[in-house]
Amino acid sequence: MTVRFLAVVAAALALAGPAAACAHPRTSLAHLQGQVMCPVCHTTLNMSDSPAAQQIDRFISQKIAACWTAQHIESALVANYGQGILAAPSHKGFDLLAWWLPIVGVLAGALALAFGVWRWSRRREPGEPDEPEESGLDEETERRLDDLLARFD
Amino acid sequence: MSARLKTTAQVLALACVGGLLALLVYSVVHQQHAPSVGSKAPVFTLRRLEGPGKVSLASYRGKPVVLNFWASWCQPCKSEAKVLERDWTSYRDRGVVFLGVDDKDFASDARRFVAAHGLTFPMLQDGSGSVTGSYGISQVPETYVVNRQGKIVAHLAGPLTVPAFATQFRSALAKAAA
Repeated sequence: MTVRFLAVVAAALALAGPAAACAHPRTSLAHLQGQVMCPVCHTTLNMSDSPAAQQIDRFISQKIAACWTAQHIESALVANYGQGILAAPSHKGFDLLAWWLPIVGVLAGALALAFGVWRWSRRREPGEPDEPEESGLDEETERRLDDLLARFD
Repeated sequence: MSARLKTTAQVLALACVGGLLALLVYSVVHQQHAPSVGSKAPVFTLRRLEGPGKVSLASYRGKPVVLNFWASWCQPCKSEAKVLERDWTSYRDRGVVFLGVDDKDFASDARRFVAAHGLTFPMLQDGSGSVTGSYGISQVPETYVVNRQGKIVAHLAGPLTVPAFATQFRSALAKAAA
């Protein structure tokens, strides 16, 4: 009984040891699988079951167990595979364009829309007299048409 | 003022469409295809997998070169390794150079692979896949045979354990080494 108890305590300590050794919150494989691309299939790791993706999964799991941060793991992957291994572009240099261009595009679109609405509303201010519609008929034809219509009233 | 604004908006819209079209054309033009047999082998410089230093394909001009693209996670590469090592040992004395290009792989796993299969020809690392891209490698293993003039004489898109590829490979190798 004592031996069994000691074995359970030892196992608990063995499992708790590495977790306690981490000075920061541990990242997860699931999180990184969404951030890292499979270099062969060009999808994120969580959407791939290829041997190359499985190899990267194993690498990430080992590094998580060794208390590496997500950033540290991503840097190691970039050093090995290049920037293309990351699903999202970095936040520096030319890559910044990929982050800012959509925002600029949305803002420009919103401004254009607001300007269009403003102009449209100014054209149709309430109380403005409607311009008489042109019929395109000469005076004589219009008079005859009115006479004709009067007969039906 | 309004007409000027309208023209500016139209010019901007046209510029956006033009930009998108230019991007599309660029991506189509720069799409990487496998170089055809008879064309010049794309030159490259890659770092060695084992040991320091870099290796350039251009430095082997005048010698036939076998370029084998592989990865440690690739299952068919394991069975192919034996074939490559055997051919390397029998052709090395005839001046044929074998270069292994490890594609999209961890260097540590690749080194383990090389040791486990007893591969002795030079191995290069292409972690980012830039060279494999210029050779249009879609799936490892793939092998190119380059003659003394730097021209591709054979491209085998599959393992050399497949009899048809093995025959084609040996014939290209013999021709290149002659």
